[in-house]
Amino acid sequence: MTDRRNVDPTLGILEGEGAAQRAAEADERVPFTVWAETPGRGPAAGATYYDRPAIKEPVWIWSVPAYFYAGGMAGAAATLGMVAQGDQELRGLVRRSRWLATIGLAASGAFLVHDLGRPERFLNMLRVFRPTSPMSMGSWALAAAGPLAGASAVFSGGPLRAAGDMAGVGAGLIGPALSSYTGVLLSNTSVPVWAAARRSLPVLFASSSAASAASLLELVQLSRREERVVRRFGILGKVAELTGMVAVERETGRTERVGRPLREGLGGSLWRAAKVLTAASLLLSAKPGRSRGRRTASGLLGTAGAISLRLALFHAGKASARDPRATFEQQRGGERATKPS
Amino acid sequence: MIEGSNMAECHPVGFQWVMEAKHRGATVIHVDPRFTRTSAMADLHVPIRAGSDIAFLGGIVNHIIQNERYFREYVVAYTNAPFIVSDDFRDTEDLDGLFSGWDSEEGRYDPTSWQYKDVEVAPAAGQREMGPEAHPNRGYRLTPSTGQAQVRQGAASADLRAEHVDETLRHPRCVFQILKRHYARYTPEMVEEVCGISRQQFLGVAEALCENSGRDRTSAFVYSVGWTQHTVGVQYIRTASIIQLLLGNMGRPGGGILALRGHASIQGSTDIPTLYDLLPGYLPMPKARLDRSFDEYVHNNISTTGWWSQLPKYVVSLLRAWFGAKATAENDWCFDHLPRLSGDHSHMTTVADMADGKLVGAFVMGENPTVGSMHGALHRKGFRVLEWLVVRDFHLIETAEFWRNAPEIDRGEVRPEDIETEVFFFPAAAHTEKDGTFTNTQRLLQWHHAAVDPPGDARSELWFMYHLGKRLKERYRSSRKRRDRPIKDLTWDYPTRGPHEEPDAEAVLREINGYVVDTGEPVPGFTALRDDGSTAAGCWIYAGSFKDGVNQTARRRPGVDQNWVAPEWGWAWPANRRILYNRASADPDGRPWSERKRYVWWDETLGRWTGFDDPDTIRERPPSYHPDDDAEGTDTISGIDPFILQADGKGWLYAPTGLLDGPMPTHYEPRESPIDNPLYGQQCNPARMEWKRRDNPYHRSSDDPRFPYVVTTYRLTEHHTAGGMSRWVSWLTELQPELFCEVSPALAAERGLRNGGWATITTARGEIECRVLVTERIPPLRLKGRTIHQIGLPYHWGRSGPSRGDAANELISFVADPNVSIQESKALTANIEAGRRSRGRRVVSGGRE
Amino acid sequence: MGAKGFFTDTSVCIGCKACEVACKQWNQLPDDGSFFTGMSYDNTGDLGASTWRHVEFIERPAPPTGGPGDGFSWLMMSDVCKHCRSAACLEACPTGAIVRTEFDSVFVQPDVCNGCGYCVAACPFGVIDRREDDGRAWKCTLCYDRLKDDMEPACAKACPTDSIQFGDIDELRARAEARLAHLHDRGVTEASLYGADAASQPGTDGLNAFFLLLDEPEVYNLPPDPVTPTKRAGEGWGAAAFAAVGMLAAAAAAVLGGRRS
Ligand SMILES: Nc1nc2c(c(=O)[nH]1)N[C@H]1C(S)=C(S)[C@@H](COP(=O)(O)OP(=O)(O)OC[C@H]3O[C@@H](n4cnc5c(=O)[nH]c(N)nc54)[C@H](O)[C@@H]3O)O[C@H]1N2
Ligand SMILES: Nc1nc2c(c(=O)[nH]1)N[C@H]1C(S)=C(S)[C@@H](COP(=O)(O)OP(=O)(O)OC[C@H]3O[C@@H](n4cnc5c(=O)[nH]c(N)nc54)[C@H](O)[C@@H]3O)O[C@H]1N2
Ligand code: SF4
Ligand code: SF4
Ligand code: SF4
Ligand code: SF4
Ligand code: SF4
Ligand SMILES: [Mo]
Repeated sequence: MTDRRNVDPTLGILEGEGAAQRAAEADERVPFTVWAETPGRGPAAGATYYDRPAIKEPVWIWSVPAYFYAGGMAGAAATLGMVAQGDQELRGLVRRSRWLATIGLAASGAFLVHDLGRPERFLNMLRVFRPTSPMSMGSWALAAAGPLAGASAVFSGGPLRAAGDMAGVGAGLIGPALSSYTGVLLSNTSVPVWAAARRSLPVLFASSSAASAASLLELVQLSRREERVVRRFGILGKVAELTGMVAVERETGRTERVGRPLREGLGGSLWRAAKVLTAASLLLSAKPGRSRGRRTASGLLGTAGAISLRLALFHAGKASARDPRATFEQQRGGERATKPS
Repeated sequence: MIEGSNMAECHPVGFQWVMEAKHRGATVIHVDPRFTRTSAMADLHVPIRAGSDIAFLGGIVNHIIQNERYFREYVVAYTNAPFIVSDDFRDTEDLDGLFSGWDSEEGRYDPTSWQYKDVEVAPAAGQREMGPEAHPNRGYRLTPSTGQAQVRQGAASADLRAEHVDETLRHPRCVFQILKRHYARYTPEMVEEVCGISRQQFLGVAEALCENSGRDRTSAFVYSVGWTQHTVGVQYIRTASIIQLLLGNMGRPGGGILALRGHASIQGSTDIPTLYDLLPGYLPMPKARLDRSFDEYVHNNISTTGWWSQLPKYVVSLLRAWFGAKATAENDWCFDHLPRLSGDHSHMTTVADMADGKLVGAFVMGENPTVGSMHGALHRKGFRVLEWLVVRDFHLIETAEFWRNAPEIDRGEVRPEDIETEVFFFPAAAHTEKDGTFTNTQRLLQWHHAAVDPPGDARSELWFMYHLGKRLKERYRSSRKRRDRPIKDLTWDYPTRGPHEEPDAEAVLREINGYVVDTGEPVPGFTALRDDGSTAAGCWIYAGSFKDGVNQTARRRPGVDQNWVAPEWGWAWPANRRILYNRASADPDGRPWSERKRYVWWDETLGRWTGFDDPDTIRERPPSYHPDDDAEGTDTISGIDPFILQADGKGWLYAPTGLLDGPMPTHYEPRESPIDNPLYGQQCNPARMEWKRRDNPYHRSSDDPRFPYVVTTYRLTEHHTAGGMSRWVSWLTELQPELFCEVSPALAAERGLRNGGWATITTARGEIECRVLVTERIPPLRLKGRTIHQIGLPYHWGRSGPSRGDAANELISFVADPNVSIQESKALTANIEAGRRSRGRRVVSGGRE
Repeated sequence: MGAKGFFTDTSVCIGCKACEVACKQWNQLPDDGSFFTGMSYDNTGDLGASTWRHVEFIERPAPPTGGPGDGFSWLMMSDVCKHCRSAACLEACPTGAIVRTEFDSVFVQPDVCNGCGYCVAACPFGVIDRREDDGRAWKCTLCYDRLKDDMEPACAKACPTDSIQFGDIDELRARAEARLAHLHDRGVTEASLYGADAASQPGTDGLNAFFLLLDEPEVYNLPPDPVTPTKRAGEGWGAAAFAAVGMLAAAAAAVLGGRRS
């Protein structure tokens, strides 16, 4: 008995459809806590199957929210860079935005690959073009925007500046998609809390991306005018971000159980933290008058807020998937596919 | 009616037919202490106290008789209901739970007084009793008297006169009236008090049975070891036989009593027995004190009437098969080469002897007794004092490792270095790696072909036995000793194949089938066997399995391509007959009882029996045939007798002989019970086998305060018996990873047990720990206002292999049924506590808590 | 090649788990480790990367309607990938590893899957899963290799009571209707079909592996009204478009507003 397949490879041929599956020697992970209720009794009876999750908990790790953050931020930066291109006084901002976009996209791609079970196969992402799959769309967007952003950054000045500008426009046009598709990616799952927020999540992600980009730009040296542009961009982004959060709460709140992970547990805390940090950052940047320190503080707070927001959604999703009642009540309640009879 | 069997879990493949029947409208009733996967599919589940079925079934007998629901015509013609019983017979009614003939010194019955009036009838398959007072039988031979010969009284009528038979069933001493009186006290109220089954539920079941029996309908009983593993195991099944005979459900399609056998060929291992007291084909093993010569043996075991009059043909043919040319009429066919029974050598007796150092060595082949048999500790005690032990198995099972992996070693009571037993382990080939037959529950022999060669040193049983035999013959070749003659004279010449000289299994089946000695021609069936030495046959009931030199057991013609009885799938003993006693499917005149239930019938124009199956009677014998007074042997079987192996051709409602614990089933409590026997002063089966020894302590027979709960043991679909075939397969152990007990929420509350937690179960014999499943599936029972809690315990686990756990059989004592010496593992008493075993703490599941 | 699939009739399931073992054996899947769960006779828990059939055990202190009330019933059900007509896993897969076969079944190609895990979050039935020590997503293949050789799937072959029936979807649906009618006649009123067609389960356009249940779907851990997420993706993309425009506007506002001051 080897490989836990009860097949001795010296005697049997391993060519079954699951034979290629790698399995570690022993499985130490205990997949569940022992059920302590009398079967058929207690609150679970008739309502759930021993409270086992009805869907699988997403297998993603920290690098997925990181990939969301970096990619979204990069998209927003690219967009801002493109819009700023027209104005000669903003060349510094343009160059910085382009570099920010380039680094962001590179990091985003790296984070995504890091989460893959088979990283060596990351190129398979570009094997097909599948409109039904936001992840496929996102991969293509990343793949397209990355080089463009890079080119735009490298050729921000010098003889090839024209080409750089064209690349900047390319990246800038993909930018908004990059910063919002992640919202579609999450909501296009069976995870109750994510699926419920399918209208508000993309908006939230886009606004938060704008805020993220602005926050990082608040940390770098800029001309006074550029500072004002970034500040306005940031304020709009943060206001929209906070509004988006409220929208998400309202959308997910339609079924009490579905919204719960944004109020309770790790997800809830991170969600609240995101709110506070973003609000604080907003206040600082909105306060009239100019202060180096305030800019930096606001930038740091905004960045922290944007990151906690993505971690909040990530953990809320996991919790939501673990809760069979969320799945059931969502489908019995507001979110019916069949017409209530 | 599935009772004493968990068919869905233990015979899942066969259970598809129950589902089919249910789909066609059959009502399925499951009587079981637990609500099992079978109950889940049944129309009705009736929870019963383990060990109380005779009271329940007796209640049904009483219901049938009191309300005249029996199939009168069938009962009068086909059973011994009208026969009048000896005046000396006394019933349990008269003797408060004992029958006449009880010898308290000897602790056994003298069955003489149970016989019919003025007649001594022989048990089918020879004498059971060991004692010298066993009765040489003369079948029915009485001085002709002048009474009216009865019409339609079969063999009996050749002998029994008016004064011995009462077809009106009114004679106070006729079997029917005795039966009626015996079961009169098995009232619904009594059933409720003994079994914990409510009157309504009981009456519901009884009526369901009656309504579905008679001319147009039949009901079947299905049982397995939930019925047999009791100190009254045989009588459980007897009670069902009485019901089925009264209702006319025997020998008819859709009727009968289906004994679901165990291991894939456990039926085969009783036909060609691994049992100490039988020769192949249920011929009795010669007894040292009684059967000193061939003539004595025949004289003691033959019945002059009925089919057992043929006994000599089968014995001679067997001896010819074994000793070939060496077996001659002059030397009594080498009868003296056969070992003689000096006494009881059943499993537990032998193990007790082993523990007392009376054995030198032992072969354990295809068995794991330290886990599967009662009282593992006593087994290991025996193994420890053997000189040598041979184990043939797939893995190093517990029995092979008793010397280094056992509770007493954990506890430091025994040290491996002090054990001198030499253990030989031989890897065994699995059924997929060798040719051979399985004989299943319906006596169907099915050939299986080797799919692959066994790995490494693994060899088949056939290979092992054949080559061992050859070595023994070689060893004794030059011996002059008389005692070595049997081995020297044994024919031992099977053709072999391949590099390992694997004997040809078909050659063995040929020999079992039997052949004409001169020509070597396979015989077509057992009727061709002779007692003059001209034929040889390894097992008379298997004669025909190699008919025409064709391996009949390898036939696999799909059911759709033949009649619904499907006679061309495999081969069933005897004579490829699919339903035994099927003569009873027709009325005394040979007409089917009803169109709906026609099976075999007498065809006047052809002048013989015909039908869908092989008729279980003499083909050309018309229903009208009536033996005259000097008829002999099979000529005494009349045209109406369906049970031709019985000396009187009748189904026995009352067993005048052949059983050691009474002619009629009587409710006795298990050896260890929570209550006093509510029916009689006699608590347990008086004739039960006990082993009174310090290393086999018993609890108080009733209501032992130390052990207040009933324990019953059983199987799970996911594992097989002692685990050698399942605990080493991780695809199975992941499905049932650990030993657990099943308890009701009420008992859990009483003892502080939590679902998924641990419990320790103790008896005087031992202590085990297991996980807990709290479930409504094992309800407490109310007996006379008292609550009886039952604990369910699978017995598959042991201490070796990937999935380890304590063995349930550490808890169970040596105590057995007297007729077949089967252990009482289905009902005993114990105590249960929350938490893990006190000593030798250990993680049980695959090294994990 | 017509659509093939399963009709799993839980009313005749005896919980023998032969399907579970047959699946593991035929597909040579590793065990999932032996754990005692305390959940009746179910020590498997759920479907997973190496468990493609899972038999559930539900102890219900209520009798099956129609059956003589003895206050208790033990429901058993063999769960499996539903091979959804509109398959969330397939539509989510960015690599094209998941394909629809000529049998209309949903098949994961292990040589393509890069383990992104998106299908896992997408499946509304919690079927497909990524095996961490392998890195890829796995699920029931509907025994594609056997179907290729005109053999029925191993689980159906092993099922002693025909609780698992394999065949052409249309024929299975007819059989299911007949069985349902039979049960209703016998008074088993709570019997119902699950996912038999698009009408009863529009969210998935119906399942190629559908069920006959004796209680509410939740009792069997089945979503009562599952939806393939992409069916609602429109709303998401719409919002994204809106957001994109918003972002461009915000950027413009930031820049232009800057100039005016
Ligand atoms: N999967 C699987 N199948 C098997 C086996 C296996 O180990 N695993 N073993 C094979 C063998 S060797 C055999 S002998 C057969 C045995 O087949 P079964 O006899 O069906 O098996 P058991 O589970 O031992 O007992 C059957 C039922 O008897 C019930 N019972 C216990 N005491 C009593 C009683 O006093 N009265 C009544 N009415 N019921 C009682 C138990 O609750 C249990 O549900 O199965 C064979 N088939
Ligand atoms: N408490 C309790 N105890 C019981 C019972 C119960 O119900 N309750 N049931 C009783 C019954 S009915 C039975 S049948 C026994 C069974 O008890 P055992 O027969 O002792 O247990 P098994 O595991 O069946 O042993 C069979 C062994 O043979 C091995 N084997 C399989 N095939 C072959 C082969 O071809 N050749 C060889 N040499 N070995 C092979 C298997 O690996 C296994 O180890 O248990 C009895 N014990
Ligand atoms: S194990 Fe073998 S004998 Fe037992 S049910 Fe399955 S197929 Fe039949
Ligand atoms: S059940 Fe899940 S895994 Fe199976 S086809 Fe449907 S979506 Fe895919
Ligand atoms: S994990 Fe594999 S199968 Fe699943 S979506 Fe990603 S690539 Fe496709
Ligand atoms: S169809 Fe094949 S792969 Fe799918 S569950 Fe059945 S046996 Fe397993
Ligand atoms: S094989 Fe059939 S009966 Fe057995 S558990 Fe699976 S579905 Fe149920
Ligand atoms: Mo057995």
